[in-house]
Amino acid sequence: MTTITLPASPRRPDWLPALLLLPALLVVATLFVYPLACSLLYAFRDEKLGVWGWGNFLRAWDLYARDIYFTFGVVLLSTALIGVLAIAIAGYLTLGENRRAVAVLRWLYRWPLFIPVVVAGQMMRTFLAKNGLMNNALMALDLIEPLQAISFLDWRGLVFTFVWKQLPFATLLLAGAMAALDRSMIEAARNLGAGRLRVLWQILMPQLRPTLLVSLILSFVAILSVLSVPMMINAGSPTMITVDMAWRVASYSDYGVANALGFISCAMCGLAAWFYLRQGLREGGRP
Amino acid sequence: MKLERSILGLAVGAALSVYATVSQADTVLTVISGGSQNMVDYVTDYLGPIFEKQNPGVKVKAIGVGPDDAGSQKIVEKLQAQKNAGKNEWDVDVIVPNQQKTGEMVKAGLLMKYRHAIPTGKFAVSPASKMALGVNVDDYVMPMFQSQTAIAYNPTLVKNPPASFDELRQWVAKNPKAFGYNGLKGGMSGVAFVVGWMYAYGGSPDTVQQGPYAAAHEAGWDKAMAELKQFNQQVTFTPGNAGTLDMLNRGEIAMGPVWVDMFYTWKAEGRLPPNMKLKLIAPGMPGQPYYYAIPSKAKNVELAKKFIALATSPQVQANGIVKRFNWYPGIDPNAVKSELSGKDWNELFTDVTPADLAKYAKPFPLAPYFTDLRERYEAKVQD
Repeated sequence: MTTITLPASPRRPDWLPALLLLPALLVVATLFVYPLACSLLYAFRDEKLGVWGWGNFLRAWDLYARDIYFTFGVVLLSTALIGVLAIAIAGYLTLGENRRAVAVLRWLYRWPLFIPVVVAGQMMRTFLAKNGLMNNALMALDLIEPLQAISFLDWRGLVFTFVWKQLPFATLLLAGAMAALDRSMIEAARNLGAGRLRVLWQILMPQLRPTLLVSLILSFVAILSVLSVPMMINAGSPTMITVDMAWRVASYSDYGVANALGFISCAMCGLAAWFYLRQGLREGGRP
Repeated sequence: MKLERSILGLAVGAALSVYATVSQADTVLTVISGGSQNMVDYVTDYLGPIFEKQNPGVKVKAIGVGPDDAGSQKIVEKLQAQKNAGKNEWDVDVIVPNQQKTGEMVKAGLLMKYRHAIPTGKFAVSPASKMALGVNVDDYVMPMFQSQTAIAYNPTLVKNPPASFDELRQWVAKNPKAFGYNGLKGGMSGVAFVVGWMYAYGGSPDTVQQGPYAAAHEAGWDKAMAELKQFNQQVTFTPGNAGTLDMLNRGEIAMGPVWVDMFYTWKAEGRLPPNMKLKLIAPGMPGQPYYYAIPSKAKNVELAKKFIALATSPQVQANGIVKRFNWYPGIDPNAVKSELSGKDWNELFTDVTPADLAKYAKPFPLAPYFTDLRERYEAKVQD
């Protein structure tokens, strides 16, 4: 019996991976974590009086309470609509029986993904106006009378634009996850006489809940942070708090209230994240 | 592999050639404009090439940071950051900020006095070249142009346009939703309308424009704001300065406050029907200049002075500012008039006459009043 001694492999020093990670960590820390922490901290700072306290929040609430509700409402409604429509589209892509319709839909639904938010805002601004493309088309089709035309440049325009822009993202995630599921389950259910709606609702969706939740939470956060669309589409007030933040900084050089509004915006995101984590823990697995 | 290598070669070549074009020019004069895209184009397409021709070896680099307070605020932040960092040479040579932020920069010691040292300094005669919303900016600035807001209207829908805020209110009561403006946060033409309203109904307009600042002069504001809130029930809100013009163009509104230069430019580009007209109503609406200024630690001070002298020469003010961009001249109009044909001069004043301007063109309020006014609107009118 001979023992073979392997040549000792050169042991990598422990600090090497850390060193390799360092540049990335530094970038994240200096350009993201540090400014975020500052912004959250300085929400409690009154620069004029030089004291710490709730002043900025009281002021933000005083002036912009309606905008805060409005923002929450618009974002929530948009996210809900995205959820419903994403399930419908992804469901049809997976269960649809008309091949041509599925192919067309598959080709069509992704387009908004490639269009920047600003461009979407600019398009919707002329599309949704009172005498805009949409109403003119409806009039040309004799579907509405000219006097019935109304402008959608308010919360409806916002919801429309957000859903249009963000829906493909949610659908992409959901349809991808559906395609990865074992098709034999669908076929078994169909063989046992389940309708397509029932397959979608009782076979597919229960398995896809985490994916749906992730796509909705990411959509929620993305919509909450958009500045250009409310600037371009929403005429008058109330408006979304991103506009108020920009307004505080630009018009009054008031970072305090802007930071307080940012804090509130972070809190809304935090709420979404909490739902997500709780869901993950309840399912007993990794979040 | 071969393809990759040739792509790499191309990229390196492209990078080198960019480097070469930059390094060929000995000096780069950096101009940051806190104006709309047309103001950046003005430097890139018109002023820059003239200056580069006159000064071989110099390249003018124009950067736009967007209009209104938001854009000029970015200039403030950039200069302040370099000052805080203790740098001795800042990377900006000429800035084009709006009035309010210019005042803030002068107070923060970010700008240098230079007007006495340039030959065109003597043409700076307007009150705006000395005071910017209550801050003494004398010698720190040369006005680039003067801009004015007015009410644009569609003469097919409005035969007799209102001549004052009182008449406008009556008209709006009879024609609900036919007047549109962009509120407070949608751009300066909406802000200008609110300011005009407060000059008409808020009391002591002269003090609000000239100072001194005392909260007692704001006593009449709540009543004026309450009336404005009522007035707002009968108007259409538009999304932004361009939004008002868009809605006029599509016939969704018949009347609304606009910037005069934007109005003429849109008309010239065919984005508004050619019959649209302007009216500057009593007791007046605000306008504002944009300034040329030099940061106090600019790298190329002498070139910056030369650049501003060119930009504020009567020839450039006539051909660039008035003829190409429909702005009112920033320097003494009498010096500019002789450089223009009678037709070009008159075109600028067809709807809004020099007499109207003399009577009804107002500055924006003193900075502290302006802040109070906007906050009061947010609290009283938007709720």
